[in-house]
Amino acid sequence: MTESDLRLIRESAGGIAPRTGDLKRIRALRFTTHGFDPAIWRQICDLGWPGLALSEAQGGSALGMAAFCALAEELGAALVPEPLISAALAASGLPETHNAAHLAGTNLILPAWQEQPDSLARTWHCQCRDGRLNGRKCFVVQAAAASSFIVTTAQGLALVPAAGEGVQLSVEKTQDGGHFGTLDFTDAPAEPLSADHGLAIEEATLATAATLLGVADRAFAITLDYLKSRSQFGKPIGSFQALQHRMADLKIQLELTRASIAAAAHSYDQGGTEALRLAAISRAKARASDSALLITRQAIQLHGGIGYTDEADIGLYLRKAMVLANLYGSAASHRARFAALSKI
Amino acid sequence: MFQIEPIETRNLDEWPDDAFRSEVRQFLASHYPPELRFPPRRLHFSENKPWYIALAKAGWLTPGWPRQYGGLGLSAGKQLILIEEYERHGCARLNDMGMTMIGPLLIKHGSIAQQEFFLPKILSGAHIWAQGYSEPNAGSDLAALRCEAIADGADWIITGQKTWTTLANDANWIFLLVRTDKSGRKQEGISCFLVDMSLPGITVRPIINLELHDEFCEVFFDQVRVSDSCRVGELNQGWAIAKNLLGFERIYLGSPRQSEQALDRLKLLGERMNLTEDAFFIDRFTRLQLDLEDLKCLFSHFADQLRRGETLGADVSMLKLFQSELYQRITEAMMEFAGEFAGLLEPMGGNRELHPGGAFIAARPTSIYGGTNEIQRNILAKNVLDMPG
Repeated sequence: MTESDLRLIRESAGGIAPRTGDLKRIRALRFTTHGFDPAIWRQICDLGWPGLALSEAQGGSALGMAAFCALAEELGAALVPEPLISAALAASGLPETHNAAHLAGTNLILPAWQEQPDSLARTWHCQCRDGRLNGRKCFVVQAAAASSFIVTTAQGLALVPAAGEGVQLSVEKTQDGGHFGTLDFTDAPAEPLSADHGLAIEEATLATAATLLGVADRAFAITLDYLKSRSQFGKPIGSFQALQHRMADLKIQLELTRASIAAAAHSYDQGGTEALRLAAISRAKARASDSALLITRQAIQLHGGIGYTDEADIGLYLRKAMVLANLYGSAASHRARFAALSKI
Repeated sequence: MFQIEPIETRNLDEWPDDAFRSEVRQFLASHYPPELRFPPRRLHFSENKPWYIALAKAGWLTPGWPRQYGGLGLSAGKQLILIEEYERHGCARLNDMGMTMIGPLLIKHGSIAQQEFFLPKILSGAHIWAQGYSEPNAGSDLAALRCEAIADGADWIITGQKTWTTLANDANWIFLLVRTDKSGRKQEGISCFLVDMSLPGITVRPIINLELHDEFCEVFFDQVRVSDSCRVGELNQGWAIAKNLLGFERIYLGSPRQSEQALDRLKLLGERMNLTEDAFFIDRFTRLQLDLEDLKCLFSHFADQLRRGETLGADVSMLKLFQSELYQRITEAMMEFAGEFAGLLEPMGGNRELHPGGAFIAARPTSIYGGTNEIQRNILAKNVLDMPG
């Protein structure tokens, strides 16, 4: 991926995820049943985004993680709630026969892989024997919108219809207007799949870091504009050195995050040992989680009273960061994994 | 046009990067004095002279100068490789003011006569330069400088004081910013002079710094008479010249090498203090390590710009800021984990790599020199974020 290829991807994202557009659509979808707009999701699928980094054998366009991260960053900047990263993860484990409808957006399959909070373990307790699935999955993003779930089990991946017998879904709302599902499977009829996710959970982790970068980047830009336009004591508050220095420090964190993600995506696409790739992803996710929370909470402070209102858009960025910061592993978990990996 | 035949006859800038890098490594292996590797502090000319002369003899002293002035004519990208290899090898920093600042200044702004007189003497090591910028009342606000040159016929009489003049006690020439006009804006009345330090009226007084080392000096000028041929560039246009001198230095100050070496030493200290299984130590170490790794990513981003031949913007200040403060935080961790050893004046057990107190003190000036970090934050806010004045 050259710089100009990446620019094209970013520009193409602008149609659905305008960086500077108003957030009326995002606000209207908050705390609704699905949390996103199925019509927009189909548009996203028409653009081929869920399969952007997927191998061609699986029906994707194999453009790699640098491209997928550029896209995820733009969607983060526009707070797009449609489940791009989840859908891409699901696609990695699906045979091409299932992927056709999934990638076309007519049949949304969501991944149910997590069993513990903030866990980077990649072993599963869920059991799938003789076509029957048992166990519990949690933190399934936008679960209420799924037609099926692709579930990690001790025996491999299994596909379960969301409305099938033995599948119970309970939902908890999240700060960003979406929701997490908890799934209880009791002898649920399931179709075992021969593929596995491979490193797709790692790819989703890195893409989540890129989404956080987009969130932080836009929150920073909104705050910078605010500091230039808001006046007190007869001058723009952005002329005060205390605020200038704080913005300078946030800018450094933002650019470290950008450089860290770009380097991780580049080294991922170049290949290399799994340990090196995972260490780079942990490094990038730890940085992105920390800096997005830092920048969005400072953004609230720098907005003053208006920042504490639901009416001001800046709060939407804080809430998005609150959800994504610990999704696919918190900064602390990723630091611990980085330490363990770099001992080898 | 004045020309100097380069001693290095090969045009190294045309070499592929990998071949160039291995050539540098071979050069260091065969030319660098082993006893000078990883010096604990900045060395005086009397100490680093063997390295200085080795470089001069090979024609490698001035990598950035064009070949027609006796330099290696290296692009910024190649110079970065050179610096990386020097740092990796633990090469002492030389009395490099003539090589990095004065030579390029003379090539750009000097008269032919000045080039003919000064450039060969920098290349041979005959002239060791100091740079007289700061004054007691002109630090961050450098343009407020008051050291003054008053015209006297065809001569100038210089009176005033410079301070924080690095290694002035080694130098025989000094590049001076002096006031030649007090009537207008303070930036508009500054000129540049090249002054022989053996002239009557000049006094150098070393300052002992927190490392107990005489690395910088005060320099006093009491009615020092110099001819107008010692003035370089246009009269009263010195401020623009002085600002342009920075350039390449700005990425150099953000090199992750300083922090990387400190982190290696923190690790060594952790082993010495039996902390390698300690959860607090591991967490603290990992945070610093991740900061270093991300700094390297950001540094590469700027280095790539240089390699592509682009000019660095003001945003390169981010590197200097983060690097210097990371380096300081690493040495602060050393202090916390070193127990009573933190207070030792000398290295632990004579091991130069285990000197938490020394490292802690050595890290202090990095957020002060090269433009304090507060000034760097001002630059970021004003020139990068375009925040109101």
